[in-house]
Amino acid sequence: MKSAGPQLDDDLPARAKVLLVDDDEVNLLMTSAALQERGFDVTSASSGAQALDMIAHMSPDLIVLDAMMPVLDGFETCTRLREFPGFESTPVLMLTGLDDEASINRAYQVGATDFFVKSPQWSLLAGRLRYLLRSSRTRIELERSKARLARAQDLARMGSFEWHLGGGFTLAAEALRVFGRGPQEGLDFIGVMRMIPHEERTLFLRLLRDVIAHNSVLVTDLPVTLLDGRQRVVHIEAEPEFNEHGNANGYTGVMQDVTDRRQAEDRIRQLAHFDALTGLPNRRQLIWRVERAIEQARRGGHEVGLLLIDLDRFKIINDTLGHAAGDELLIEVGRRLRACVRNSDQVMEGMLETIGGRSHRTLEAVGRLGGDEFVALLPEIGDERDAERVAERVLEAMREPIFISGQECFVTASVGIAIYPRDGLTMADLLRNSDVAMYAVKSQGRNAAALYTPQLAGQGREKLELESALHKALERGEIVLHYQPKIDVRAARMVGAEALMRWKRGDKLVPPGDFIPLAEETGLIVPLSEWALKEAARQAKVWQLNFGFSDSIAVNLPSRMFERSDLVEHIHQCVSAYGVPHRAIQLEITENNLMKDLQNVIPALHRLNEVGVEISIDDFGTGYSSLAYLTTLPISEVKIDRTFVRDLGITPQSSAVVTAIIALARAMGLRVIAEGVETLRQMDVLHRLGCSLMQGFLFSKPLPPEEIEQWLAQTVLPRKAPWIAQAHSDFEGDPGGSLGSLSGGPLRPSGGKLL
Amino acid sequence: MSTPTPIPPSLAEPAEPSSAADATSCLDPVALDRLRELDPDGHNKLIERVLAAYLKSLDRLLPELAAARGEQLDLNVVRHVSHTLKSSSASLGAMALAERCADIESRARQQHSEGLEALLDAMLADIQQVRLAVASLAPTTP
Repeated sequence: MKSAGPQLDDDLPARAKVLLVDDDEVNLLMTSAALQERGFDVTSASSGAQALDMIAHMSPDLIVLDAMMPVLDGFETCTRLREFPGFESTPVLMLTGLDDEASINRAYQVGATDFFVKSPQWSLLAGRLRYLLRSSRTRIELERSKARLARAQDLARMGSFEWHLGGGFTLAAEALRVFGRGPQEGLDFIGVMRMIPHEERTLFLRLLRDVIAHNSVLVTDLPVTLLDGRQRVVHIEAEPEFNEHGNANGYTGVMQDVTDRRQAEDRIRQLAHFDALTGLPNRRQLIWRVERAIEQARRGGHEVGLLLIDLDRFKIINDTLGHAAGDELLIEVGRRLRACVRNSDQVMEGMLETIGGRSHRTLEAVGRLGGDEFVALLPEIGDERDAERVAERVLEAMREPIFISGQECFVTASVGIAIYPRDGLTMADLLRNSDVAMYAVKSQGRNAAALYTPQLAGQGREKLELESALHKALERGEIVLHYQPKIDVRAARMVGAEALMRWKRGDKLVPPGDFIPLAEETGLIVPLSEWALKEAARQAKVWQLNFGFSDSIAVNLPSRMFERSDLVEHIHQCVSAYGVPHRAIQLEITENNLMKDLQNVIPALHRLNEVGVEISIDDFGTGYSSLAYLTTLPISEVKIDRTFVRDLGITPQSSAVVTAIIALARAMGLRVIAEGVETLRQMDVLHRLGCSLMQGFLFSKPLPPEEIEQWLAQTVLPRKAPWIAQAHSDFEGDPGGSLGSLSGGPLRPSGGKLL
Repeated sequence: MSTPTPIPPSLAEPAEPSSAADATSCLDPVALDRLRELDPDGHNKLIERVLAAYLKSLDRLLPELAAARGEQLDLNVVRHVSHTLKSSSASLGAMALAERCADIESRARQQHSEGLEALLDAMLADIQQVRLAVASLAPTTP
């Protein structure tokens, strides 16, 4: 065959350099020729000494040595060859005779890679050489890859280990490093176990037994204490090894020092799941815990308690002592709350399943929802009493004063309790319902706990609906003003009117008591008041045109309206818009409201007074006004509270109070008007005590503006009402008693001081 | 100990002394062919070089052997000579000689000297035959 030549394998170097050593010239020639023809680059040496001289500068890929040579035989040559640096693992093929078993053994002893029985069948020899080159290259790659692996493992603080059933635990050098040991220092299984804290060790051995019993993969993290005292976390991952019968006979795997990673993870987890201020579980973590607890409770058929804890009047502390103090307070509160329940900070995603059993107990915690709101989660309760007991503990924990910024603070909390499954099946339901219960506590005076009941929810929901409807009421024109006349009984005439707000909700008329507090709570009272002022101005104009009305319409304002710097400007715009004088609007503020915010309200009172807007003090006598203050206030009128009027003629005290008020007002030059007059008897008494201005059902209930006109036309002017007859008979001969003189308008201005 | 047979029978068979009086009959034609294949166009004059090397080694080894056959047979020399001749003869296809050498080498290694002298004489006779064959082969090569 004309040889294109069975070339060397594609994956081998183009022409492998072979050093052929044989003392027999004939063999040397022939073998050399045969190998050249088969693609090898052959260099010949006729003795061992010559070969050793040559290798340094030719660096062969492979050496073929005749075993039997004079002087330096193949074995000795091989021995010396291996001592040359760089030739430790060059493949060496020893040529021996077929019958020479001793030579074969010796060949291996001196470090030959393989032997070959001399034969003129060159293709066999060439095949063997190719095989040696290939395995040598594989081995070199393996060495390199081992070195790379060792380096990588070193960087990753990782090392491999083997563990055979029935003894035999071997750590690779890199694995020894993980445990802080040098490659020569031994470390057996017991040695590793000694580095693990006792409880962890027990857990680990249990896990190990389990894993071995199931031939499953071993994956775990172990805390260890190294000899120098350093605490590390070692991650272990190992797979079972099987013998030829398919039985597991050990494990091989890697160990890695994951301390840094674990610390970073811990930090991340801390940030993600815990509140930075108090260190308690945050909202996200709480939600997760509650959801897990609900899941477990559904399976276990038990109850879960959710306590929503809201600090009372925390805002005041924050506002008066500053945010830093507020934060300090929250930290202390968090600390105290934490003591009220068991807390396990280590519960995390994915851990529950491995703990198993009654693991949901570990979910128990107090967390911070945000602001001054905390949540206590009780993953399993016997009944609602359990939850109430914890709530009591919480309230009790707050009783001790908290020292912040050198001050003693007393903090109370309102606690709302919702119970799964009774009060809700989801986290959102439980949280909402505990919120409802908590608000019920707040509205009933705070510093207490309450269980959620559906009745509470009804109130809450109604309130919510009311609130959203009220928002729309104004723009939909559902808010109207009704008017109650103010009467001068001596003259039997109307001397003004009080505007009262009504909400026409569908065909229902909502009384102010049902929506004004809500409007104040939500801030809607501001637009409502502004609207009322404008509407009153408009009405004054309408009446002026219709029947010559020139008195005042009184509008009730909450104190916060007086604090608005634009109130005067707003009133100015209202009256200007309708072309009525400023005095067409009178403002009523309750005595309590006034006294509460006196300092803030006084400037506005002065400005209003200057432009001609009169101020009337409503519900007078119910508060504890300082008389000295009253004398300094720019007010024009006081309204005797209806409770005194009601008791007039029944209890002597009430007439004494009324007498005193009248005397006081007279001394201060104020007008006095009595509210809530319902009977002729009350009217008589008031009149006799010197108060002739009155308001009440005896005269008229609050009416829509058109009906006021009707009432005037049908009752007052024809002098048909009983009170007119009575008043008239009482004050016959009164010089100013031209009652309801129609000349010059039916209702002349009431004039200044009536008393 | 079993008789060593360094050459596979299939190769040894044509090397049996044949009735043909051809001078080259002691050389295995298969081995010669194989030798020629290594240098098909004779460019490297491989066969001449191999034959020359063979004759040269005979010139070196035979005096060594003669010297070793004094009063006391030097088995180490016998072993070395027979070993060297064994493989080079086999390479040329001188199978009978190679077998004879293998037998001698084996005995010498085991320090069996009885009958060795007769075997050595037979070997020398074989060598003589091979010399002739080689000489007759040489001129035919280009």
